[in-house]
Amino acid sequence: MTQHLKMTAHNVNVFYGKKQAISDVSIDIDQDLVTAFIGPSGCGKSTFLRTLNRMNDTVASAKVTGDIRLDGEDIYAPEMDVVQLRARVGMVFQKPNPFPKSIFENVAYGPRIHGLASSKSHLAGIVEQSLKRAGLWEEVKDRLQDSGTALSGGQQQRLCIARAIAVDPEVILMDEPCSALDPIATAKIEELIHELKGRYAIVIVTHNMQQAARVSQRTAFFHLGTLIEYGATSDIFTNPREERTRDYITGRYG
Amino acid sequence: MNKAQIHRIPTDWRGAAMQRRIRGRYAAERRFRLLGLAAVVLSAGFLVFLLSTMLANGLGGFTRTEIRLPVDFPRAGLTLDPARLAGPGADLALAGAGIEGATDGAATAAFGKDGDKLISDGAWLAVRAAVKADPALLRRRATIAVPAADAIDIAAKGHGSPAAEATVARLKAAGVLTTGFNLSFLSEADSTDPTMVGIWGALKGSIFTMIVTLLLAFPIGVLSALYLEEYAPRNRWTDLIEVSINNLAAVPSIIFGLLGLAVFLNTFHLPRSASIVGGLTLALMTMPVIVIAGRNAIKAVPPSIRDAALAVGASPVQVVFHHVLPLALPGILTGTIIGMARALGETAPLLMIGMRAFIASPPERLTDPATVLPVQIFLWSDQVNRGFVEKTSTAIIVLLVFLLAMNGVAIYLRNRFETRW
Repeated sequence: MTQHLKMTAHNVNVFYGKKQAISDVSIDIDQDLVTAFIGPSGCGKSTFLRTLNRMNDTVASAKVTGDIRLDGEDIYAPEMDVVQLRARVGMVFQKPNPFPKSIFENVAYGPRIHGLASSKSHLAGIVEQSLKRAGLWEEVKDRLQDSGTALSGGQQQRLCIARAIAVDPEVILMDEPCSALDPIATAKIEELIHELKGRYAIVIVTHNMQQAARVSQRTAFFHLGTLIEYGATSDIFTNPREERTRDYITGRYG
Repeated sequence: MNKAQIHRIPTDWRGAAMQRRIRGRYAAERRFRLLGLAAVVLSAGFLVFLLSTMLANGLGGFTRTEIRLPVDFPRAGLTLDPARLAGPGADLALAGAGIEGATDGAATAAFGKDGDKLISDGAWLAVRAAVKADPALLRRRATIAVPAADAIDIAAKGHGSPAAEATVARLKAAGVLTTGFNLSFLSEADSTDPTMVGIWGALKGSIFTMIVTLLLAFPIGVLSALYLEEYAPRNRWTDLIEVSINNLAAVPSIIFGLLGLAVFLNTFHLPRSASIVGGLTLALMTMPVIVIAGRNAIKAVPPSIRDAALAVGASPVQVVFHHVLPLALPGILTGTIIGMARALGETAPLLMIGMRAFIASPPERLTDPATVLPVQIFLWSDQVNRGFVEKTSTAIIVLLVFLLAMNGVAIYLRNRFETRW
């Protein structure tokens, strides 16, 4: 298997004021695989995820050091345009957060602000394709003008995924995308992740170790702001090198 | 361990002490509900009292007592050529025609020696208007309804002196007294004669002033609120600005009047008594209210929406204008309308910048001398003439209707922009 590294992170540290949230984390994100970040609450996995598209910039006290590259390009370099970076590295949040606008507008917003659609019909095509890829099209095709917030939680989350897909990103970051959903909606999202794999590099943060085992090929275990172990998911779950990893996945703490 | 050793008696849920507690709880509920209801009834009662008093006193101001005055135009000694009334020189011809004297003459002819005291000082204006509307009148005798004098008007409405009431009874018996809609009250400005005063001058002044206030305070207030919430770094300077704005909103309005006097009149030499200066002064007063309301509305926009927009690659400005502002707009509008309503009812600062002058014609431009509704009410309430008592209440009704209309527009706008989640 040839490995194509989409993103690389080297010696990343994140500080909130004086408090260090992430120390010395190095991880490579593979283009064709799903990478899962697991770890107990407060271990820094979400914080680290948010360094990958510079969402931490919105927190005034946050400071990031180290080297994070997207296709070899330093994303923290002064000449990097943050807005464009976030279009290339999309994100799905823990709580579904559709805009209080119509379903169509939710998906069309990204392409519209980046000028990705050449005409109205082209835009409608992008919306349809994105909703199809997010597995939501059949459920909403007759009510695209309804408010996105009127959908169920699971549908809202898939709408958010469609919104992220619509700008045609290279990487999709998912921050515990199923933690607010019921098991059926969770199963749908997991299925969706399988389908999106290969087209986008996917990084998913999850509390649910079974979910990590089901959807990912690579797993990183974080604890207290450090990366304890990173490797193939099968190895992490069946044959972890570190005792702390073993303790966590067997439910001894977390 | 002490905690483990606490001895617990099984709770008697049906015991007398427990029953007493339940009764006490119910009594507290009832007491609280009654108190709340009493508060609502009391405040509603005050409102009803205010409105009914104003309506009872003021509604009469929309009507006026008129006297049907017979005028014998061919013998009135008018120096007026009917042919000139058709052309563009009509007003000029009317101005020099001596209609005022002719009207007084007609009144003495009809009602005796003091006949001209029965009709209003402005009665000739009604005659002039009638002639202008129908020049053919000049060739015959005609009966024209002219406003009655102040004393007659009051007596006809039941508040006059015995002598005036006797005159009214005599006129009624003669069948010359009628009641008409007081159109001139809605189209004229201030006057020394209560039968001739109008509210339009003050209303127009209020509208001009409010427009200036809104055009300045709304954009500046909203932009400041957006900048402070979305862009400004949190440091000592922004804390200082925040404290200053909160203080500014609480500063007594008279001080804004002094500020307006010092800055706009003495430094910038803007015209005294003008609605533009009034608007500028009130904008200073309204802006902090809008900033505070705006900041609260912007704070209430969930951060998840900002994250969502940033994550698809919206720039900070796009986040603000596509998402934050539309969601905050209903709250901002509510704050704006509260500030504007306060500005509309403000009197003190406008006294300082000379808007309490006697202005007998409605302002045409923002720089014309003008007054506003609350100041007009204040001025009329100060008059000794009994006729102004009624006009004061009538002006209050107009002010309240204006306020109601403004609030109505605000509620409509708010409901239109309200986003349902």
